[in-house]
Amino acid sequence: MRKKGRFHSLKKLRPRQDWSRWSLYSISQLNRPNTATKTYFQQKWTAKSLTRAYHGEQIREKVWKRLFKRNLPAVVPMDYKHLARYDGSEQAAGRGAGRDIKGGSKTPPMTPYMQMTYYPIERRLDSAIFRSLFASSVRQARQFCVHGLVKVNGKKMVYPGYMLNPGDLFQVEPSSVMYATGAPKKRSSTARKVAKEKATARADEWNQKSNPPTTPEVQRITAREEPTPAELKTHLQTLMQDVQAVLNEEVSAKDKQKFRALRQQIRKSIGLWKTASPESVSTLDSQFEFLKNAINARAAQDAAEASNAEEAESTSLISEDDKEKLREAFEKLKLETEHTSAWNKRNAAAPYATPWRPRDYMSAFAFIPRYLEVNQNICAAVYLRHPVARPGLAEVPTPFHLETGQLAFNWYLRRR
Amino acid sequence: MPPCIRPSNVSSSIASCSSIRPRSIPQPARAARDFSQSSSRQITKRRRQFYQWLNGPGRALKEPLPGSTNYLGAYDRFGNLIRADNRYLTGRKKKEEAEEGEDEAASKSGQEADETDMTERRLDEAAENEDKKQEELKLPPESKEDLRPFPGNKYFQSQPVLSEDLREAIYQAMVDPVSPMSLPAASVHFGVSNERIGAVYRLKHMEKEWIAKGKTLAIPYRQAVMDMLPKTPYVSDKNKRPIPHEPINDLIVHPATRQQLFVPVAESRVFTRVDAGKAFDNNLLPADERIPHPEMVQVERDTLSGMSAAERFERAKERLLTQIKEKTEKEEAAKEAEKAALTRVPRRRWDFVIQNVSVESVGKNGRDHRGVGWRYGLPHEDRKKGQVKIPTSVEA
Repeated sequence: MRKKGRFHSLKKLRPRQDWSRWSLYSISQLNRPNTATKTYFQQKWTAKSLTRAYHGEQIREKVWKRLFKRNLPAVVPMDYKHLARYDGSEQAAGRGAGRDIKGGSKTPPMTPYMQMTYYPIERRLDSAIFRSLFASSVRQARQFCVHGLVKVNGKKMVYPGYMLNPGDLFQVEPSSVMYATGAPKKRSSTARKVAKEKATARADEWNQKSNPPTTPEVQRITAREEPTPAELKTHLQTLMQDVQAVLNEEVSAKDKQKFRALRQQIRKSIGLWKTASPESVSTLDSQFEFLKNAINARAAQDAAEASNAEEAESTSLISEDDKEKLREAFEKLKLETEHTSAWNKRNAAAPYATPWRPRDYMSAFAFIPRYLEVNQNICAAVYLRHPVARPGLAEVPTPFHLETGQLAFNWYLRRR
Repeated sequence: MPPCIRPSNVSSSIASCSSIRPRSIPQPARAARDFSQSSSRQITKRRRQFYQWLNGPGRALKEPLPGSTNYLGAYDRFGNLIRADNRYLTGRKKKEEAEEGEDEAASKSGQEADETDMTERRLDEAAENEDKKQEELKLPPESKEDLRPFPGNKYFQSQPVLSEDLREAIYQAMVDPVSPMSLPAASVHFGVSNERIGAVYRLKHMEKEWIAKGKTLAIPYRQAVMDMLPKTPYVSDKNKRPIPHEPINDLIVHPATRQQLFVPVAESRVFTRVDAGKAFDNNLLPADERIPHPEMVQVERDTLSGMSAAERFERAKERLLTQIKEKTEKEEAAKEAEKAALTRVPRRRWDFVIQNVSVESVGKNGRDHRGVGWRYGLPHEDRKKGQVKIPTSVEA
């Protein structure tokens, strides 16, 4: 069997359905098809091979040929005011008597039917997952299906080729979505250090196990009380990360200032970690705890105030509506903070770089077509209807020129 | 002639005893393999061009633009943002310079501290300076061309999605305890299509369930994605009209109307949309009745005929009631017909219920369960070769 070419080749630029820099480059280098020096067959062939490399390259050609439909769906937006005013007879009125319409009504923009050739593929579950920005490529979306991470109408669906029906709700496991759309993990110097420390700790443990403890109990307890500088440093660093996590959340400006001051102090101690004493570390710890408690207490107080306000409405300056709004806003903020910190905390076990950020080049590919309605919070989407063409706009996302689309459509039209 | 021995990078004494040599001795990278005469490391022209593009025009696309979409169509050939005006450019330049300055300062001051410390400090300083620079970095709104992710295809553009507030507002309007909005009413009020309103309701309902269950929402993901997408904002002011999200009265192009017809009509005759529909297909309704919101047309007709607001409201209410009545009547009639089709023969302990089954209802392939053969042992075909087992629908 002939060896398959590279998926992303610079020799033959083909856009693929993924968020890679190669795809972006090939999309930027696309131009209208060469019709001057090629025969019609050659033009159609190139157009077909180029478009098929993008649309459903994971589907075999025979399967796609069965999916192909020559009837392409379209809609026309109607103006209800115009429909109410005229019954349609005005279009022909007086024409026989010689009335001529000269530019009376604007001609609507052309409906790009030919860009809709691959609309049946957009109905597939894997394509829909990719289009709703839950996976970074169609291949990944397909893998999610096969691995059982996708549900359709609440039931597990393992077939990436499942054809969605209008009204189907599909959802993907949020942790997988975070992994697919997040920046990939890199081995940083910190991670290496952590790994090294862990390895030394394990080695120590092993040594202790192999050599039965000869030191008396009392000495060990004192050793516990007086931690080594290295231990102190790791403790300080974890403390630092905790502070960072709190700062990543949304807290008020004054609290932020306090936290920053605390962080400054910790940083200094880390800088001088060799001389740091356990006392200084414990004071820092207590400071952090105090600040955190203060924030929580304030939050509770706010909630209590809001509930008390209902009773003493006549005396209060703020109206009840405003209070209700305030409370809602506060609760929303609290919820968001909780969830954000759950994802964003430094976690070496997470399959993406923490704190989470979108992967490179994602913004250039981020669009959600109108035939999907997506709720990103729960990583679920509804397939509303099949994609349609409307005047001046085709809903199938395709990077190719209109002429390429025409040629590809004509390729599949033959023998039919 | 003795064989030509290539000079080795490592001294022979170390190379000979490979067992004691540690693996981590850094070796200078050689230009090519010893046995290869061609320079295989040479970067091809295509590869060079690719990286040139990536580091030049493609550089801006790597990170999202704060507070805006960031599509390929918004840049020119040289990677300049087309809609950026001078104010934005100067603000951006200032910011970059400031960042560079910060980096230098951090590297000078933090030499004694270790690496993690430095990165933290840099992050912190960047965060502090951020809010000051936000005002300067405001971009003008996107034009149609700026919303093209594929510059080669001018018939596709990234269309706005519902903003988070708008979704919440739609849900709240529909579950309002005092006067809940019906689906078509919400569609007309917010300018969002019927299907989308239903979908928003379902998804929001699911989200609330998740919160109640204590599941973790993907909020950082939502924030990142919503920052990258164009959005239809929510107008919270009750006196202002909401910004319409999409055309709500889309007429589906019926396959019967795809052909051109030549219908000779007398000049004296008033040839309306109803007649045109009949000319294409006998069962084709006119556009006024096929659009998703035919009631809007009727209300507009009432307005044109000079009715007062109260009168219009009364008529709309009447129409709605008759519509609901007709629907329930139809359903009841269907139930009655189903009952009438069964013949009951009462017996001492059980009744015999006899149902008529037609041979015609076996369908095209003769296997339909409503037909005759199904309950008399029609064999399954799911073990046959080439049977597709992917389900065609999943019940909600």
